[in-house]
Amino acid sequence: MKICICTSGPDLNFPIDQVFGRCSYFLIVDKETEEFKVIDNEAREAMRGAGIAASQIVAGEKVEAVIVGKIGPNALTALQQSGIKVISGISGTAKEALDKFKAGKLK
Amino acid sequence: MRNQKSKINNQKIIKIAITGGKGGTGKSTIAILFANKLVKEIEKVASSATRRGGGVILCDCDVECPNDYLLLGQKLKKPQKKVYAEFPKLNKTKCKKCGLCAKTCRNNAIFQPPGKYPVFIKDLCSGCGACWIVCPHGAIEPEKEEVGQIFVNKIKDNFWLITGSAKPGLEETGPIVSQTKKFALNLAKKNKANYILFDTAPGIHCPVISAILDCDLAYAVTEPTPMGAHDLNLILDLCQKLKVKTKIILNQANLGDKTEIENITKKYKIKIDKEIPYSKKLVKAYSQGKLLNFFI
Repeated sequence: MKICICTSGPDLNFPIDQVFGRCSYFLIVDKETEEFKVIDNEAREAMRGAGIAASQIVAGEKVEAVIVGKIGPNALTALQQSGIKVISGISGTAKEALDKFKAGKLK
Repeated sequence: MRNQKSKINNQKIIKIAITGGKGGTGKSTIAILFANKLVKEIEKVASSATRRGGGVILCDCDVECPNDYLLLGQKLKKPQKKVYAEFPKLNKTKCKKCGLCAKTCRNNAIFQPPGKYPVFIKDLCSGCGACWIVCPHGAIEPEKEEVGQIFVNKIKDNFWLITGSAKPGLEETGPIVSQTKKFALNLAKKNKANYILFDTAPGIHCPVISAILDCDLAYAVTEPTPMGAHDLNLILDLCQKLKVKTKIILNQANLGDKTEIENITKKYKIKIDKEIPYSKKLVKAYSQGKLLNFFI
């Protein structure tokens, strides 16, 4: 299974971005192999509705969960409607978050 | 061509926008003072001539927070007209979940969970109608909804206040401004008014553009501060693009630093038409919500 980590840089050593809709990158990480795909978040430039546009990008990636600092109400609803679990309030690097997630420490 | 025709029809009605970019510079205060001045001028002409002539309409186009009525000591009672807009409604029996509507929406107001029906997010929707135009299955139908109201207060025999008011939380208020303006123009024709003053919202966004569009003159009200200068620059640029002649009114002119404002007047080759010094009398009257009966 894959998860999406919202980061400020294009690999796992970067910190988790604090806002979902306007984060810099989505890392779509394979939980088992830790291989990842980098998606540039084009929605961050949106005049409004960045959260919805970002949700549309992430919802197309077949991920089971999203790990982020903060998420707005629109994006939260959109992701939940897409059957994606949202784990917010997370800080530190993407790698740390991934390790915690794999250990079942993130809920 | 259309513009020219409407100009000929309304040649007796002079349309003036009171705008300025920055908020809190005194747009509404000046609009009211200006309206009062025009009313008095008309009364002078009327008393000397046999024919009773003209009138003034003050049109509050700051529809998200109209307050000219407060400064004129009025109350907004029953609306004279309701303003409607159209929003998308999904017909699930026709929808094929193709996702074109969600891709088209420039406001990101449509979300489509994979394999499910699109969801319209009302808070983000401007009611532009792109979704029902592009839908190849005719599955999106426009649904009418009340978005605002127009109020009329007759203040004197030759002085009317028209107030446009948007429903709180509405995303796009430009169309309400347009309809309020249209209403004001019709009232002006009916009552043979010769001036309409449009008191605009701060900023340079859609409702401000709607208010300035097609005016004969715009007054940009500003103040001698860095923010005042910054926003004056934006509003002068906008008025230039809309091809509306603009004059500058500098409020609280004796406070702050005028250098930046003067640089902008040079850039646009527009002189400061009027400087209003800081006045305690005016502030006091304003804070008491009194009818301001003087023009400096």
